[in-house]
Amino acid sequence: MADGQFVIIDGNELSFEEGETLLQVAARADIEIPTLCYDERLSPAGACRMCLVEVEGSRLMQPACSFKATGGMVVRTQTPKVERNRRFLLSLHMADTEQDRERAEDANPSRIFDLADVHGTAGCFPKVEQKRSGRPQDVNKFIEFRPERCINCSLCTRYCEQIEAVSAITLAGRGAETTISTADAKSLTDTTCELCGGCVAVCPTGAMTEKPALAYGKPEKELEKIRTTCNFCGVGCQLDLNVDREANRIVKATSPPPGTTVNDGSLCVKGRFANDFVHHEERLTSPLIRQEDGSFREASWDEALDRVVSGLQGIADRHGEDALAFISSSRCTGEENYLFQKLSRAAFRTHNVHQCAAT
Amino acid sequence: MLPKNARREEVLDRLEEQGGLKPGVVQRVHQETGVPEADIYGVATFYHLLAEPDVEVRVCQGLTCKVLGSEALMRDVQSTGTSACYASCLGRCDQAPALWRAHHQEPPLHTGLTESHSGLAIDLENHKKYKLKALQKLLAQGPDWVLGQLETSELTGRGGAGFPAHIKWRAIRGQAETERYIVLNADEGEPGTFKDREVMLRRPDLVLEGLAIAAKCLEAADIYLYIRGEFQGPKQAMRDALTRLQETGLLDGLNWHFVDGHGAYICGEETALLEALEGKRGMPRMKPPYPVEKGFRGKPTLIQNVETIACLPAILRQGGEWFRDLGKTEAGTKLYCLSGHVRRPGVYEVPMGSTMAELLDQAGGVDGNLKAFSPGGASSGFLPASEVDIPMDFKSLRDAGSMLGSAGVVVLNDTVDMVEASLMQAVFFEDESCGQCAPCRIGTQVIRQTLERYLESKDVAVLAHLNEVMWGMGEASICGLGQAAYWPLQSAMKYFPQEFGLEADSAND
Repeated sequence: MADGQFVIIDGNELSFEEGETLLQVAARADIEIPTLCYDERLSPAGACRMCLVEVEGSRLMQPACSFKATGGMVVRTQTPKVERNRRFLLSLHMADTEQDRERAEDANPSRIFDLADVHGTAGCFPKVEQKRSGRPQDVNKFIEFRPERCINCSLCTRYCEQIEAVSAITLAGRGAETTISTADAKSLTDTTCELCGGCVAVCPTGAMTEKPALAYGKPEKELEKIRTTCNFCGVGCQLDLNVDREANRIVKATSPPPGTTVNDGSLCVKGRFANDFVHHEERLTSPLIRQEDGSFREASWDEALDRVVSGLQGIADRHGEDALAFISSSRCTGEENYLFQKLSRAAFRTHNVHQCAAT
Repeated sequence: MLPKNARREEVLDRLEEQGGLKPGVVQRVHQETGVPEADIYGVATFYHLLAEPDVEVRVCQGLTCKVLGSEALMRDVQSTGTSACYASCLGRCDQAPALWRAHHQEPPLHTGLTESHSGLAIDLENHKKYKLKALQKLLAQGPDWVLGQLETSELTGRGGAGFPAHIKWRAIRGQAETERYIVLNADEGEPGTFKDREVMLRRPDLVLEGLAIAAKCLEAADIYLYIRGEFQGPKQAMRDALTRLQETGLLDGLNWHFVDGHGAYICGEETALLEALEGKRGMPRMKPPYPVEKGFRGKPTLIQNVETIACLPAILRQGGEWFRDLGKTEAGTKLYCLSGHVRRPGVYEVPMGSTMAELLDQAGGVDGNLKAFSPGGASSGFLPASEVDIPMDFKSLRDAGSMLGSAGVVVLNDTVDMVEASLMQAVFFEDESCGQCAPCRIGTQVIRQTLERYLESKDVAVLAHLNEVMWGMGEASICGLGQAAYWPLQSAMKYFPQEFGLEADSAND
């Protein structure tokens, strides 16, 4: 904290660190300032204007997301002018995207309506002609962009650039035609995109959404989130399975909010999209043992493990321990890999052990 | 996160070299610069001259051209099978209705001018040029003397904001950072404005000398001249003049960089201009920090309009007091662009604060009966004929709820419907909004749509929500474009309420 440096926000004297924004200082004091285009992981865009607050001595309201605190600054976040601006913007966004909440939230929740619950609107403005183009010819299987929902907050493009360092998407066009595009409006699969789906995760309005979930047709708000650990690799990313309880079905996976888990709001293509195996009819649900004639029969875990042990021991007996090698899957965690090398070295006395992600 | 060694600043030039956004170009520019393909595409689609490379003719739909027949001109052009589109103001309001052909040598334009005399700071008709006397005086007397003269002169920025020049200069002198830049804002595009075009064509010596003075005074070595892409003639005049002046040796040690604009009005906003110089989409930055502190490449940068810079030699030659006393209500002489329903459209240099009536005299009088005028570009809105005695300076016009802006004065006679005139300005702002912030991007659309609906229905009820939208645009937009984009409508409703089906005064709240 800067020595003796304070800002006064809504009458509260708050200390701050050099370079901190008003939003950061306010958040520490639990003063909530609404935002649509802010993400603490990204450089602020200042584009949505929801976070405008009054700063004494400044003719115009200032964006709390990027305006830096300085000593003695007096800030007000709940004046009639500030609230009027919030209502104006929410009405404006609804006129530009969708004014009916149910339609707006057909797949993903909309932050516009959540904020309207708190701050209200300036009434129903006439519908604005939609000029943003989409990419209907994009053949990727996972990510859908619905331009009519887009508020040009640039969270998706900033995420793609600043977190993933992929830069597959960009703000394109100008003015009312500004939209989200790839280079030459190609399919995401023809770009540097890794289909991590981070654009979907950061989108406040459901303009970026999951194609499979969209096809499933149930709004996210009607799904139950069940926290689990992704088992595609050993990192330990947390993800929320969005489950349709009635149908006992995983509809999609979402990332927990930034700052709450090890993956800080991110997932990769596998964690976010590769969950269709769960309900696949050919999924293995019990061990199978190959029989003499080459066909498989179901077995218990005990029987299957005994079979593995006897097979491995047989090789060691006949050809020596170094005839064995142990290679663990990249899906194993650090702890599992530790146990695995124990198995190799202590039980079978060989150093022939490797982890497939190590190469 | 830009890949290491990526050369973003080259992107716009390379796109231009390759003929704009044509198949395969994005990939080639990516290979040449290392900038991600998507970023290059995002940049190319922002600038109309790059995004629409196959358009041969651009027909101006600025206010002046629109009232003087750009629609008929468009029909003529299209009837010949030429690919054409409308463009925002082309800076040829004196030739209205105007058009522009890409890659064509433009014929010299004939425009109305003030006759040369000794009481003019710029003096477009003066042919005694290329002496660099002011620069020599700076070299003899030093930067502090220059700053003193600048302060005494009370010179304010002629691009539109009217900010005192000496404050900017002093702020840069006070920076600890020694890597500094000088940028000439020659991206003239405010509807009704064509003065910088004439200054560059007729007095490039003054502009270059002014830039050299700024560079020497602020200890900058690199000067960037950002010239509107359609102004190939003025750019050539500047290049020729530079070659001549460099022969004197007085410009040694200065690096001159000519940069083309690519068709985006918003790049006249100084921080959007900086983004363009850095090879990005021209979206204004949030301020603070201001360019005097963090400008081009994050370094202290002086950005001045062509006319402002062109005033410097006279100020140093004749003294700050001399310049100050040239004005009537504020300092200096001022270039006013007169177009629309006047008999002799042109660029007139008269004392700052001359009245509108005096300007009309200069331009040969009104063609028809004066109804309204737009004093300083689209953002300044409209004033009624009854305001003809208003001094045309920054303060008087601000007090009247308008602004001097770029002093692009558009004169309208009583054949003009003010709802239609408001719509013309609304179309301009919608086309030229960068799209970054919601109030401007959506608000400009709302205004344009509402005016179209009103013209169609004449139902005053469609105007109901406008006050709230105008309020929000003014309070919440990031830059001046959005903050002023509703002024034409608001002023038209204020002074001509009956044309909007309103009672007098009902639009004044």
